[in-house]
Amino acid sequence: MADREFNMITLSIDTKTIQVPPGTNVLKAALDNGIHIPHLCYHHELSISGGCRLCLVEVEDQDQPVPSCGLTAAEGMVIQTQSEQLTELRRGVLDLFISDHPLDCVVCDKAGSCTLQEYAYEYGLKETSYEPTVSSTLFQDDNPFFLRDHQYCILCGRCVRVCDEIVGVHAIDFANRGFETNIATPYDGPMIDSTCVFCGNCVQVCPTAALMPVSRLQGGREWDLDRTISVCGYCGVGCEIEYASKDGNILYAQASEKGPANGPFLCTKGRYGWDFTTSPERLKHPMIRRDVAFDLGLTEEPWELPDTSPLDIRKPKVDEYFVPVDWDTALDYVSSQLADSVKNHGPDSIVGLASARCTNEENYIFQKFMRAVIGTNNIDHCARL
Amino acid sequence: MSREKLDQIAEQERARQSQFDKRVHCCVSTACLSAGAGSTIQALRDSVEAAPAGDKVEVVQTGCMGLCSRGPLVRVQEKSGEEVHYADVDSECAEELIAKTVSWDQGDEKPPELSPELKTVRERLETARKKRSLKKHVLSPDLPFFTKQFKVVLRDVGYVDPEKLEDYLAHGGYQALHKVLTEMSPEQVCDEMLGSGLRGRGGAGFPTGLKWNFVRREESNVKYVVVNGDEGDPGAYMDRTVMEDNPHQVLEGMMIAAYAVGANHGYFYIRAEYPIAVGRIRGAIRAARRRGILGKSVMGTDFSYSADVRIGAGAFVCGEETALIHSIEGKRGVPRMRPPYPSTSGLWGKPTLINNVETLANVPAIIKNGAEWYAQIGTEKSKGTKVFALAGQLTNTGLIEVPMGITLQEIVYEIGGDVPGDAEFKAAQTGGPSGGCIPNTHMDTPVDYESLQELDSIMGSGGLVIIDSTTSMPEFARFFMDFCVDESCGKCVPCRVGTVQIRTLLDKIIDGRGEPEDLDKLDALCKLVSSVSLCGLGQSAPNPVLSTLRFFRHEYEALIPCSA
Repeated sequence: MADREFNMITLSIDTKTIQVPPGTNVLKAALDNGIHIPHLCYHHELSISGGCRLCLVEVEDQDQPVPSCGLTAAEGMVIQTQSEQLTELRRGVLDLFISDHPLDCVVCDKAGSCTLQEYAYEYGLKETSYEPTVSSTLFQDDNPFFLRDHQYCILCGRCVRVCDEIVGVHAIDFANRGFETNIATPYDGPMIDSTCVFCGNCVQVCPTAALMPVSRLQGGREWDLDRTISVCGYCGVGCEIEYASKDGNILYAQASEKGPANGPFLCTKGRYGWDFTTSPERLKHPMIRRDVAFDLGLTEEPWELPDTSPLDIRKPKVDEYFVPVDWDTALDYVSSQLADSVKNHGPDSIVGLASARCTNEENYIFQKFMRAVIGTNNIDHCARL
Repeated sequence: MSREKLDQIAEQERARQSQFDKRVHCCVSTACLSAGAGSTIQALRDSVEAAPAGDKVEVVQTGCMGLCSRGPLVRVQEKSGEEVHYADVDSECAEELIAKTVSWDQGDEKPPELSPELKTVRERLETARKKRSLKKHVLSPDLPFFTKQFKVVLRDVGYVDPEKLEDYLAHGGYQALHKVLTEMSPEQVCDEMLGSGLRGRGGAGFPTGLKWNFVRREESNVKYVVVNGDEGDPGAYMDRTVMEDNPHQVLEGMMIAAYAVGANHGYFYIRAEYPIAVGRIRGAIRAARRRGILGKSVMGTDFSYSADVRIGAGAFVCGEETALIHSIEGKRGVPRMRPPYPSTSGLWGKPTLINNVETLANVPAIIKNGAEWYAQIGTEKSKGTKVFALAGQLTNTGLIEVPMGITLQEIVYEIGGDVPGDAEFKAAQTGGPSGGCIPNTHMDTPVDYESLQELDSIMGSGGLVIIDSTTSMPEFARFFMDFCVDESCGKCVPCRVGTVQIRTLLDKIIDGRGEPEDLDKLDALCKLVSSVSLCGLGQSAPNPVLSTLRFFRHEYEALIPCSA
């Protein structure tokens, strides 16, 4: 079998010789090799925009600096990413960015993870040298998941591109033109009426405070939050999530960016469906129904299961119906009941229902248990229901 | 339809035209229409119908005759070829004109029965015979406005009826296309363009032959030609005129280009604000299709070509080629980075040739008369002619076509007839919102690509605005910056925010709130926006400011209260 070999391109960036596959743009080549070039609109998973004008580099034998995101690496290319001219140009561009941006980093929740703030610091921009403007004061708080505060929006377009290219629902796009441009849903309708699936990928790729999770607001400074890397429990993809929490309470969840299955993206369940962790209804230990508990001699009072009509959808209070027990008691009871059923009615009297919430390993053991221990092929999964 | 059949139609039309003693051309292009040419041509037609021997006179709707400030314009052409031009022809003057044009000697011929309306027209004609006001309307052919021009693009504009393919054929139309299809290879056509020295007339001045070769050399079974009819510069109407008044000329140029580069389909992208042009181009496409000039087998050859019209939606930025392409694709009209250039990856990712209307309008003449002929006109690096929309504070404003290299002096003083009234000529602005001002100290500047660039301006698409001593240059610059703020697409921050900040600084200075360091700040910001903007709009938006700062800095300084 023939080996497929790339003819790697060799180029020099800041005198460092690096090799990249053909078709790689110079910005990616630099970032992948630990060379820092400021950029706001570029994202490694999205198409190229070229709008922020920050990633300018100097190319040998060319007079004018060019945006490195739009420059395809060529053999023998010699690139400079730092120079007096480039610093001045980048500073000028950032000055224009912050001229149309509220400079309230002191109280802004994005402080610490805001890319604009990072570059303002790097280029020593305390304030703008131009007349401050506010191109948009639109504040949209129309859904429980994320906030759209347009005064912070720098129109990098990452949110539009992620919605188009990764999620594929095209819920938002640029509206109007020039200084009046803003990101909008069709006809400015509420988010819930658009095709938005509330996956929040736009929130994650947003470099500023324009898109923020509602749960996060005023919950603490970015650098004060605890970060826990985990795997999402909702489905078999197993996306790697980073939970940001304070004092044990989750403030927001985002992709850890390193998960092999999901990279920097999540779906709405992983990103916003974590409130079950602190739900009062969450089971923390095994429980046995009161009437059975009484029969087992674990409680002193007899109890009867109330007659409830199937139309009664009121959820029973867990404490009212169940008694907490230790694992041994619980497992003894379950195994004895299962064994009885197998003995009296045969192995096929039992069905096992697995869950996407379990890991692959757990589901594997479960079906092994059903087939080898119980002796039945009656096994199904919530995905089929 | 074969060449022979088309020649027959041309011959028939020429014969038909020659049976008239006199032909009266009335301009119904947009400028004259807004001056009332609609009534004029109606009056001419009614008069001819009501007059004796009116069947010996034909009233022809035509296009622009150039001196738009004196419209409606009418020309009376004798069978001998002699011509007299009339200006400011309203319906009353039109009647007098016809009254004096027709032959009243009917001999034994019985006068036809006229309707009551035409009877009153007839009566008015009889009175008009005795009037003496027509002479005042005559435009002398010796006017420098006419003698200093050299028509290539506009040669047949104002002569052909833009709605009659037969008239275009009668004037030699589609002969160049036929020559190209039957006698030349695509490479030869490109060579001819290179040899002519034709450069893009949309403003950038890129050698046309070079661009055609780029597209020709791309390997793809699908290629496109796009005609850029967006013409967004305020006050520029060169392309509008050619599209309205000789649409087949543009179509022919487009088809020659398509053959040269290997495209079989193309689009006219016309701004929505030119409904007449849209209608005329569509009409031309229909007529050409009917006569087999468009379609599977162009004029019986094995070259196939079809064309469609796409209408803009009110965005100046869509004159930029990549934004234009996105607009045709149904996307937001926003530019993208180049490379890749449209010649490699353009419309729907295919190699695309985009040319300006005026550029393509030159092509048939170049093919017919040869590259050497064209290269003799103009200067060494700027060959051919340029159509200018002469506007502003000037006596003779309108549409002119002059050889490259003519001086500003000749245009302003001779063709333009100098500034009216007591004011004096101060500066000439070329290139619209992307251009700069040439002050009156540089009157011997030859109008060509390089000379204008040296003076920090550009040729642009042809807008030429004359400014007199009553106009404030900072306010003039602000007008164009206002325009750019409105038209910026918003994608990149230097243009989106930078133009707003430039305008804010201009407002500050013009309102008398300026501080001494504001001029340097303005200059630095302009240079930043110029150097970092993504597309030509942002890159050239600061030009009017930079140009006026260079040549009229004293006017800015005068507005700043405490400047030294």
